[in-house]
Amino acid sequence: MKTLINICLTAIFAMGIILPCYAEKIVAEGSTTVLPIAQKAAEVYMKRNKDADISVRGGGSGVGIASLIDGTCDIATSSRAIKDSELDKAVSRGRNIKAHVIAMDGIAVIVHPSNKVKGLTKKQVKDIYTGKTSNWAQVGGDNQKIVIISRDTASGTFEAFGELALEKEKVRPDALMQASNQAVASVVSRTPAAIGYVGLGYLNPQVKALEIDGVMPSKETVLTNKYPIARPLFMYTHGVPQGLAKEFIDFIKSPEGQRLIEEEGFVALR
Amino acid sequence: MALIELILILGSIPLYAGEIDILLQKLVEKGILSPGEAQEIKIETQEQVKKEIAEGKFSNLSSWVQNTKLKGDFRLRYQHDHSKKLSTTTSPTDKDRGRIRLRLGLESKVNEKLLVGLGLATGLNDGSADASRSTNVSFSDSSSKKSLSLDYAFAQYSPFGWLTLIGGKFKNPLWEPGDLIWDTDINPEGGAFKLSKKLSSNTELFMNTGILVIDESSGYGADPTMYVIQPGFSHKFNDNVSLKGAFSYYGFSGVKGKQLDGTAGTNSKNSSNKLIYNYKNIAPALELGFKEPFKMLKLDIPYFALFAEYVKNIDSSVKDDNSGYMLGFKLGAEKIEKWANWQLRYNYARYGKDAFLDILPDSDRYGGKTGVKAHEIMLDWGLGKNTWLGIDYYYGEQLKGNFGQSQSKPASLIQVDWNMKF
Repeated sequence: MKTLINICLTAIFAMGIILPCYAEKIVAEGSTTVLPIAQKAAEVYMKRNKDADISVRGGGSGVGIASLIDGTCDIATSSRAIKDSELDKAVSRGRNIKAHVIAMDGIAVIVHPSNKVKGLTKKQVKDIYTGKTSNWAQVGGDNQKIVIISRDTASGTFEAFGELALEKEKVRPDALMQASNQAVASVVSRTPAAIGYVGLGYLNPQVKALEIDGVMPSKETVLTNKYPIARPLFMYTHGVPQGLAKEFIDFIKSPEGQRLIEEEGFVALR
Repeated sequence: MALIELILILGSIPLYAGEIDILLQKLVEKGILSPGEAQEIKIETQEQVKKEIAEGKFSNLSSWVQNTKLKGDFRLRYQHDHSKKLSTTTSPTDKDRGRIRLRLGLESKVNEKLLVGLGLATGLNDGSADASRSTNVSFSDSSSKKSLSLDYAFAQYSPFGWLTLIGGKFKNPLWEPGDLIWDTDINPEGGAFKLSKKLSSNTELFMNTGILVIDESSGYGADPTMYVIQPGFSHKFNDNVSLKGAFSYYGFSGVKGKQLDGTAGTNSKNSSNKLIYNYKNIAPALELGFKEPFKMLKLDIPYFALFAEYVKNIDSSVKDDNSGYMLGFKLGAEKIEKWANWQLRYNYARYGKDAFLDILPDSDRYGGKTGVKAHEIMLDWGLGKNTWLGIDYYYGEQLKGNFGQSQSKPASLIQVDWNMKF
């Protein structure tokens, strides 16, 4: 009995000593899509500000928002707007959730430059990726089987494309999964019958971007909500951010932070 | 900048969303705002309005409602028990029962760090084996009224995010991947505290401890009491593979020489039905989980987990029949959330009669006895949001050597459940 009580008290004491050591840093947790932005920005920011300690974690948008509501992170990163149920929970716990839009995520559908198809509807994209349409002739192209190129399931781009273009339906199982945006663009540039998708920052002259519902993907069409496969990316805080959290979000929204965002393949707001 | 602030203020008064869009569009056209700034203002305004609606909805409720959550569930069950014909009996024993379970729970915040919870459930409160381990009541006794008992009542204090203290009669604070040791209906009594520390986004350490009163006896220090400490961890190797493990140590006092309420009668005892041994257990447990494990085979199964538990009574006075284990798997949806979600679970358990106290194990597995080996297979099928069908089948036998008998007395049990939670 005495031994047990001693062990328990020791554990509490140890936790009490360990935890304050982490008190000075901020934690940004959540979306895997926003993760590369947050990581890159934290790395650059900490290089300039040696005292700053910014810990960046993934886990998913829901995890980040839940942590912010629970008070276990300072910034929740999210690739979707907070849900009403999450807001209700936050309000019931006295948490004052404040949204900060940091970038837009626009995804271009690409084909080989020799492909005569210029554009698709969002439904046609969905039918191609879910297997209902399998030949380019069905959408106005040559009579050849469509080669589907997709990002791997762990990527934020895959998640975003699934939600925005496929309405959460699954990509056909014979799709060729690629580990990066560059790899998708590279395979599409070498495969005449291929279709793929990449973040706007990864478009290059070796691939052809398709119009979707008659709108060409560009920074302008994404920022004006005309291009349909796009979404805002968020950072959420409890109340108006203070201290390091404020400085970090201000940095991401600054011209330099926005340049980092474009380097990561997302659409900057400025 | 002042213009942006003005727009934000406008966003907080009941303007139509379309009006803000038009205003922002005009400002972009005139070159006052960039498209990105307009987008930022528009979305942040939408989010602000959403938040204010949530706050408005909330502030219309009285404060006790704002701080209180009510939940519950109802289960309708058909159950068939079957015991094989033995040389000592003339025929097999069969029993069919219709049963219900109703549970109502309420949690209310006293302040930001203090919570009080209480639960009511159908079931007995007479100290019998069913009283702590079952919340079912059977259709019987000419449509008699059924008992509703206090299932739990506790106070929970969380001074820091990493520490929770609980006192009263509460949900089991210990983690267990199966139910080798604890029937899931048992709500222990006493005090517990739970510590957790996230080391990274993938790794968390935790420690659960408790001083749990088993029974009350006259005389100072004589109460049968359990002391437990359970350090553990969870780690995600990647998005698809995770491992959770814990090592529990259970110490008991005041147990030897007692006849405990709720006993299944299988621990070693003397002619006066008093326990003849002390109990002191170690119990490691592991669960390895995989998301979308059969994707390579093009099988759309969202989750698969393997788990193992082991328990040993390490008190030096107990030489035989003092250990047990459970092996099992879970396959299908992690949670049953909608129509056609399904989950299949299987486990095999084997434990000696003095592996641990017989007041604890699953009451459906061979009547909650120790000294048994048993298979259990369960299938849940989602019928819709918050409702599902479940089929649970047990086949168990007594371990012959444990009781000096020649027959293993096999018995089976099948339960068909319609579950609803609210």
